[in-house]
Amino acid sequence: MIPQLVTVRVKRSAGRTIRLWIPVLPVALLLAPLVTLGVVVACVIYRVDAVRALATLWRVVAALPGTRFSLDEGRTAVLVIIR
Amino acid sequence: MNEERKDILDMLAAGKITAAEAEQLLSALERGQSRVATAVDTRAKGRPKYLRVMIDSNDDGEPVAVNIRVPLQLLRAGVKLAALIPPVAIDRANAELSRAGVPFDLGQLKPEQLEDLVEALDDLTMDIDSPDSTVRIYCE
Repeated sequence: MIPQLVTVRVKRSAGRTIRLWIPVLPVALLLAPLVTLGVVVACVIYRVDAVRALATLWRVVAALPGTRFSLDEGRTAVLVIIR
Repeated sequence: MNEERKDILDMLAAGKITAAEAEQLLSALERGQSRVATAVDTRAKGRPKYLRVMIDSNDDGEPVAVNIRVPLQLLRAGVKLAALIPPVAIDRANAELSRAGVPFDLGQLKPEQLEDLVEALDDLTMDIDSPDSTVRIYCE
């Protein structure tokens, strides 16, 4: 299962907080042709099996849900959650 | 009927043991089987899913806290990327490692070995305490 939602929260020292909820599926559909083309070109240049590379990339993306990164430094904070 | 149970009943039928002894042996056998089943079940359920990295430190008097949760599945998928590294890049990396005094051949590193390494991370717990910072790495 690929990630469905990426939540990004950035709190700046000025007190402003930016919250972003990024739905992954529409973004992935939009970027899929570009990413696929990029991977295929890179594989041809570096002589790597393109199918294997795309399969591995898919496996990495599918394993992303559950990832969480948070950084608090004084009055600045960054939080990224992949669901 | 399993083999041990049959053996006990055979011994009872042959008169080698009394009914009370047979009952004791059968109950001991059942206790042992349920303990094994519980252990297997606990291990399957209690298997860690995430690698946690928690860092608390003081940077010029300001507290800094980093909290990272990485699915172990992501690490397993990530090690497969190692198999995609082009030979040219491996040669360059080996040359740089040798220059830095680390004579290590990355070409010898097989994805299976890396997977074993990730599997072994299940039991990893690392605590580093220093006057200014605390680092904790563990699986949950």
